[in-house]
Amino acid sequence: MAKSSATKDAQALFHSLRSAYAATPTNLKIIDLYVVFAISTALIQVVYMALVGSFPFNSFLSGVLSCIGTAVLAVCLRIQVNKENKEFKDLPPERAFADFVLCNLVLHLVIMNFLG
Amino acid sequence: MSRPLLSLLTFLFLSIICNAFSPENPTDRKVLVLLDDLSVKSSHSLYFQSLQSRGYDLDFKLADDPRVALQRYGQYLYDALILFSPTIESLGGSLNAAAILDFVDSGHDLILAADASASDLIREIATECGVDFDEDQAAMVIDHTSFAVSDTEGDHTLIAGDNFIQSDVILGKEKIKAPVLFKGIGHSVNPANSLVLKVLSASPAAYSANPKSKLSTPPTLTGSAIGLVSVVQARNNARILISGSLSMFSNRFFRSGVQKAGSTINHGRSGNEQFVTEISKWVFHERGHLKAVNVRHHKVGEADEPSIYRINDELEYSLEIYEWSGTSWEPYVADDVQVQFYMMSPYVLKTMSTDQKGIYYTSFKVPDVYGVFQFKVEYKKLGVTSLSLAKQIPVRPFRHNEYERFITAAFPYYGASFSMMGGFFIFSLVYLYHK
Repeated sequence: MAKSSATKDAQALFHSLRSAYAATPTNLKIIDLYVVFAISTALIQVVYMALVGSFPFNSFLSGVLSCIGTAVLAVCLRIQVNKENKEFKDLPPERAFADFVLCNLVLHLVIMNFLG
Repeated sequence: MSRPLLSLLTFLFLSIICNAFSPENPTDRKVLVLLDDLSVKSSHSLYFQSLQSRGYDLDFKLADDPRVALQRYGQYLYDALILFSPTIESLGGSLNAAAILDFVDSGHDLILAADASASDLIREIATECGVDFDEDQAAMVIDHTSFAVSDTEGDHTLIAGDNFIQSDVILGKEKIKAPVLFKGIGHSVNPANSLVLKVLSASPAAYSANPKSKLSTPPTLTGSAIGLVSVVQARNNARILISGSLSMFSNRFFRSGVQKAGSTINHGRSGNEQFVTEISKWVFHERGHLKAVNVRHHKVGEADEPSIYRINDELEYSLEIYEWSGTSWEPYVADDVQVQFYMMSPYVLKTMSTDQKGIYYTSFKVPDVYGVFQFKVEYKKLGVTSLSLAKQIPVRPFRHNEYERFITAAFPYYGASFSMMGGFFIFSLVYLYHK
């Protein structure tokens, strides 16, 4: 049966991905969770805007961009602290985290200015 | 000179000045009448008497009198000119067609009557005013269907015209019942000139040709396109009356009875006197002369006029319009006065309400566009002086602190932003202290 074999393949693929992901270090998993949280918040706002209309458009933009910005910064952090990434092996993770904090402060400063 | 005499002279001089045409008192006072010969003064005396009885100071002069002058030391001596000299080839003194047109251009009024023998000078003045008399020097208006019945058969050049313009302002409220007798030349109005109006047109069966010769070629002017009497109101509100018939103003036509061909009604008196009197009232600004005063605008709930408005302000606009009745300013009543809020094109166009006492008012919301706007009133109506008011006013956008804060619809966005900040804080703690 073609259909059941496809389902089986998908299950096998899903299992292999899950077992591969289980090997990921915990700090990266925490970052992943954080990224998922930010993206889903952004999606909720887009759906809300589609329902209510774009009236305080600056508020909408700052709300969504704060989520997107956070997600982007978190992904950047994830790239820099990943041990398997040879490109950043000279960069200490403390330095990467300090960069992340600084960028976040700037981002939220801008967002606060644009929100009202 | 002794002092009392001097002050008396000053007083007389001032009273003369005060009687002249002025924006406050727009009716003409001093009128120069130019005649071909002084017999017209008696043959048209009924018309002149009707003017004098309404307070006009008529100054009769022969048109070729070398002392005739419209102005002295740059001041016009007269408020209006009646040109009852159809045959004159060149005017006396320094007067010529250009001087008469300058007189009109400076806001003075003109009544011009031509005749079958109209000279080139008279035709030139009429042409400059947008009225082209038939170029054939011998042509007259002939009408075989609506001529005035007389004892002799005649050549049907005495026309009983009743094709009037529909305007109470120009012809008065009272309807002209009897037809107007007309014997003279026809004209066409220049289609490029929007200021000239035919007040009395010929009937559809009329044509303009030489009555003494046989009609060999089709006449150039035919039907109701022929104007018999036309008026012009210039942009400076100078008014001009041009008639193709001088005898229309004569005592003989005033007193004559009239029976239109094909009609059984025999009017004891022609409509000439009423027609000519009413239209002279209009030409001399006894009717249909408007002024607008007290133009005001302010925000709703305030009294002072601001120097600038903000977008979406509610404002009130009002003005007062009065009509000169010949002796005093009376409230002008109409329901079609509109105001525009204008920047390149009208953003708001509103018909104003009136309290029937001359005050027109309206209120509207400033559009959501900033820039330099104008309040514009462009009132152009048949017969009345045109009103053209414009007042400039800038409109600014919201100031930064005038925007709405804490909008309910935006709460989810605020929440998301703050949850992102909280999320960042918690994430930092978890990330730094895990294990």
